[in-house]
Amino acid sequence: MTPLTMTTRIALMSAALATFGATVASADPIRRIDLISRPQAAQPAEFQFTQLVAQEWRRLGLDVNVRVMPWEQMLDIVWSSRDAWDTTAWQMVGRPERSDPDEIIFNLFHSSTAERGFNFIGYSNPEFDAVAEAQRVTLDPDERRELIRQAQAILAADQPNMMLAHPQSTYAFNQSVWNPDSVVDQGGIGIRNTWTFMSLEPVGDQRDIILNSSDNVQAINPLFISGGVDSWITELVWDRLMRIGPDGLPTPWAATGFEWIDDTTITVTLRDDMMWHDGEPVTPEDVRFSFEAAGSGEAPMYSPFVANIESIDIDGMDITFNLTAPSAAFLTASLAKINLIPRHIWEPILEDLAGSDQNAESVQENPPVGSGPFRFRSWAQNEEIVLSANEDHFNAPNADRWILRIVPNVEAALGMLRSGEINFLADLPGDPSVLQAAVEQDENLVMASAVDIGFRYVAFNNRRAPFDDPAFRNALSSAVDRRLVVGAAFRGFAVPSSSVVSPALEFWHNEETAMTEAGIDHAMSLLEAAGYRVIDGRLHYPEGVSETLD
Amino acid sequence: MKAITAIGSRVLQTVFVLWAVVTILFLLFRLMPGNPMAAYIDPNFTPEQQDALMARFGLDRPLWEQYFVYLGNLLKGDLGESFFYRTPVAERVLALLPNTLILTFSSLIVAYIFGVLAGAYLAWTRGSRVEQVAVPLVLTTRAMPEFWLGMLLLAFFSFTLGWFPAGGTRSPGAEFESYWALYTSRDFLVHLTLPVLTLAIYSQGLPLLLMRSNMLDVMKEDFVTMARIKGLSPFSVVIRHAARNALLPVMTSFAIAVGYQIQGNVVVETVFSWPGLGRELVRAVSASDYPLAQGAFLMIAVVVILMNLLADLLYALLDPRVTRE
Repeated sequence: MTPLTMTTRIALMSAALATFGATVASADPIRRIDLISRPQAAQPAEFQFTQLVAQEWRRLGLDVNVRVMPWEQMLDIVWSSRDAWDTTAWQMVGRPERSDPDEIIFNLFHSSTAERGFNFIGYSNPEFDAVAEAQRVTLDPDERRELIRQAQAILAADQPNMMLAHPQSTYAFNQSVWNPDSVVDQGGIGIRNTWTFMSLEPVGDQRDIILNSSDNVQAINPLFISGGVDSWITELVWDRLMRIGPDGLPTPWAATGFEWIDDTTITVTLRDDMMWHDGEPVTPEDVRFSFEAAGSGEAPMYSPFVANIESIDIDGMDITFNLTAPSAAFLTASLAKINLIPRHIWEPILEDLAGSDQNAESVQENPPVGSGPFRFRSWAQNEEIVLSANEDHFNAPNADRWILRIVPNVEAALGMLRSGEINFLADLPGDPSVLQAAVEQDENLVMASAVDIGFRYVAFNNRRAPFDDPAFRNALSSAVDRRLVVGAAFRGFAVPSSSVVSPALEFWHNEETAMTEAGIDHAMSLLEAAGYRVIDGRLHYPEGVSETLD
Repeated sequence: MKAITAIGSRVLQTVFVLWAVVTILFLLFRLMPGNPMAAYIDPNFTPEQQDALMARFGLDRPLWEQYFVYLGNLLKGDLGESFFYRTPVAERVLALLPNTLILTFSSLIVAYIFGVLAGAYLAWTRGSRVEQVAVPLVLTTRAMPEFWLGMLLLAFFSFTLGWFPAGGTRSPGAEFESYWALYTSRDFLVHLTLPVLTLAIYSQGLPLLLMRSNMLDVMKEDFVTMARIKGLSPFSVVIRHAARNALLPVMTSFAIAVGYQIQGNVVVETVFSWPGLGRELVRAVSASDYPLAQGAFLMIAVVVILMNLLADLLYALLDPRVTRE
């Protein structure tokens, strides 16, 4: 290129820019966009993918500022000051009860939860609301499936969030201690689940399941939904009428079966061979009491799950629930959620609490009494929980004891797995490839990795321009290649995500949500089609739209 | 009479310091960004639940009111209820305090016995080749980060040699009749070894170097020269004359080190999964569990203040030159 042509080009370009600038004089540049992430030390994958997302967005002409802060501080902004943020990384973890899509579909996106509930992004679409409401009251599984698929399609078109990945839950165990055939892989949850703990079969003399958790146990309380680790324990100590089976569907547990009488009436039959850990029999009155206790106001965390129950009738071993409105998720969200508790223990406690400013969440029974496959044995604070097998249970475990060790140091947990101090790695907060390396060196160790119900995403603040424009959200979302996210941030231990309903939930997942086209060029063409322009390397609003924030 | 007034004013001072600590802690945690609700955020978390939770924690009331409620409860010996665990703070803190104190005191006692002896020896062999190697070595151990040292010991003694367990205070599922039975068991001692060793290696530098430089000073004094002239054996000169005098500042530093060490425990408690107060404290601060964080800090502050008081009183006792005029 000669110097002359160079000058000419510059002159031409500035001329072009001048005319261009004049035509869009009324458009504002898009302000600097914040993207919130938790720190690298706490959330390495999240920190990594926010960097990646920011980098791609910058290529669209956006000025992106990654703000790193701990979870508590992030929450102060995202949850409590709902109109004061732009975008944030977020995470939903997989739980057995999330095998029913209702919790995620409704609570995350229905406009009624926008003000103070989990729809903190402020997504509001009447069409979506209608579908989300309809699936709640549609009892026919196939019809409901269509609605759930429809809801996912609406979300894919609107992109209220930018879905990134479903991580793989990765755990390991020692096969010289546990028979690998006795390990149960629960769909969307992985091998660390109640079914595995009940069925693990010892190979040799070691008959104790010794597993790790990196976080402390908060409480062992059937009326308090506390930390994630706590739920491993409550699920073993207390029974429920139904349990989420290895296939992700609710299966009868303490009930021998259930029958829908009509849309709002369901009858379950209680097993007649159950005993509380103190030797008293489990009666239908105990069951009714358990549901009433959950709704009594003394257990506020459980009240949403029984709010739909109008009354409970007992006839022999049959228990009939009369509902206020039809509820498709009732089996999962209520029957498989409420812990059965002994009336003779809790009734006096709740009576005492009724007059005080305390509630049942502050009650720590000693020892906790349930009817579940494991009995409580001991608890050394921040160190260890010991449960022992309940041989009288109708599904008695094969192992002798279940010992949970609190190990905040991940490296130590891996070392313990190799030395035999633990024989089941139930919590791996760090990078799964480190575990993979350890497993490759030790033939006794088996690693199991499965796609999770949980997911990672970047949430857009739908209340705030420019994120109130679905076209803009779509463009930003399609700018990022999810395979890159999976490879770089999750080291391959994840699958790209296109829907809040995980592909692990095969029945409900809508595979048509999968992104067909991605990349900067595609994103740029979407932006241009919607009227956005890049001027001097900076992305501007469409003509006539001005920045609405101070 | 004079002594009583002196002790009385010292106690008054202590009470004032405690009040200041309590007030600063109260404000500090509430001014920090963060929200105790963070632990409860869930798709099913309704606005009613949020309000009930804030009311339950007393956080819906004005700050000054919260402060006076807190002070009032504290005077009654009530540290409040943990937001996170929902159980009384005093119960939790007192259950963890022994683990932390055992770890702190045993490591400091090991560090000080070693430090004092080695320091005296190095002063005695001043200018020798031993000193040339030893002093830089001590400085190196002092500069090693505790977590790194801890991980190193863990990798070597636990994962490679298999001599010691990797964490906790007891073997999985081991049951003990009482805390006393636990603390006096062989199992506990085996679990205690690596964390104590880590902290001891980290903390021996201070007493060692302090002892050495004190010894060097003392050995120049007239009474040491006098003792030598009298023809006493070198052992008698070093131990009975010089070391006894050089020991005084080291004793004070022990008391101060206790306070210092309790903070340092956080790291070692995490590396060795030791259920102590330090780990709980970090957890409480990051979860905005104000009552628990305040309670744990207060407990540590009380230990530090008591140790300082003890150091002051001991000093007056050990060194007749120190008086309370």
